[in-house]
Amino acid sequence: MMLLAKAALTVGGTFILAGAYTMREGVIRIDVDEYRTGGSHVHMWVPAAAVPMALHFVPYKQLRHASEHGREAMPILHAIVKELKKYPDTEFVEVDDHDQHVRIRTQGTRLQIDVDAPDQKVHVLCPLSTIEDVTIQLEERGPAA
Amino acid sequence: MLDRYKVLLARTALVASTALFLSPLGAFAQAAAPASSSQSSSERATTSASKDRWLHVRVISSDAKGETVRVNVPLELAEKVLPAIHQDRIHDGKVKIDNAHVNDVDLRALVDAIRTTKDGEFVTVQSNDCEVRVAKQSNHLIVHVLDKENSKRSEVEVKVPMKVIDALFSAGKDELDLVAALHALSAQGDTELVSVKDHENTVRVWLDSKNVTD
Repeated sequence: MMLLAKAALTVGGTFILAGAYTMREGVIRIDVDEYRTGGSHVHMWVPAAAVPMALHFVPYKQLRHASEHGREAMPILHAIVKELKKYPDTEFVEVDDHDQHVRIRTQGTRLQIDVDAPDQKVHVLCPLSTIEDVTIQLEERGPAA
Repeated sequence: MLDRYKVLLARTALVASTALFLSPLGAFAQAAAPASSSQSSSERATTSASKDRWLHVRVISSDAKGETVRVNVPLELAEKVLPAIHQDRIHDGKVKIDNAHVNDVDLRALVDAIRTTKDGEFVTVQSNDCEVRVAKQSNHLIVHVLDKENSKRSEVEVKVPMKVIDALFSAGKDELDLVAALHALSAQGDTELVSVKDHENTVRVWLDSKNVTD
């Protein structure tokens, strides 16, 4: 019985640490629904901490390519995200147009983008720290780095 | 007796490890709460920290679609983000203008003249079609245009603090310093900068300390 308890504690402890590390930044939630023939329906929940980790496994060439493409946008995105962290639960953009609604806001320390239109719905919820981590990594691997 | 304690200890360890194992799931469930379940913007309407200054833009269209656009930008955010933009004519928070002589008017000299002059009306046009008024009043440059042509009456009012205009032209030659202008704007009290009203649109740009539009 004691052996079982020790094993359970070890396994449990490992899972807790792994779970806590993975979930410490919450999840990235992406929901895309296109209401047309052949339209895509994407519903994705990804642990936010996994994204910067996964970037380490992306081939250097591909990452550099992505970095080159977003070279001008990265510093802007980085600056925006850094500043957005100071404004939790804030509505930045709100567009209501008859049957279309767009919202860009922060929900705590996460960026929330909602687009509701008759032909599609897009909901994105992403921790700002994840976007920051990704932009830093892409900047570091850019051509100037 | 010792065996009983061992069993108790083992069970406690099992329960504790199970509880700890499940605890991240709670965080997961919390994190995955639907976006739509968030509080409405009105419930979150708060006045932000005392020093924060917010630039608000609101466009309300009274046509059939009834479009509404609300943009709330903290001036500090804009001040920090603008220098990061390096595209076309914008660099380091400054926008390049071809030359300060637009249509043979030396803008810099004009601004200098307005700054040093006393309050008063510079331009007044009154006709059956429109009314135009450009004035300096209480250290603000005021431009008022009333278009009375047709039945579709439209009215534009722009009110810019002189300090903001000074800051805008404080950069080198042929440049407008947007960051300096925003910084000067953040030192201003609550004020309406732009107001446009016509038969189908109402546009308002104003500055205050609230992080939501009214």
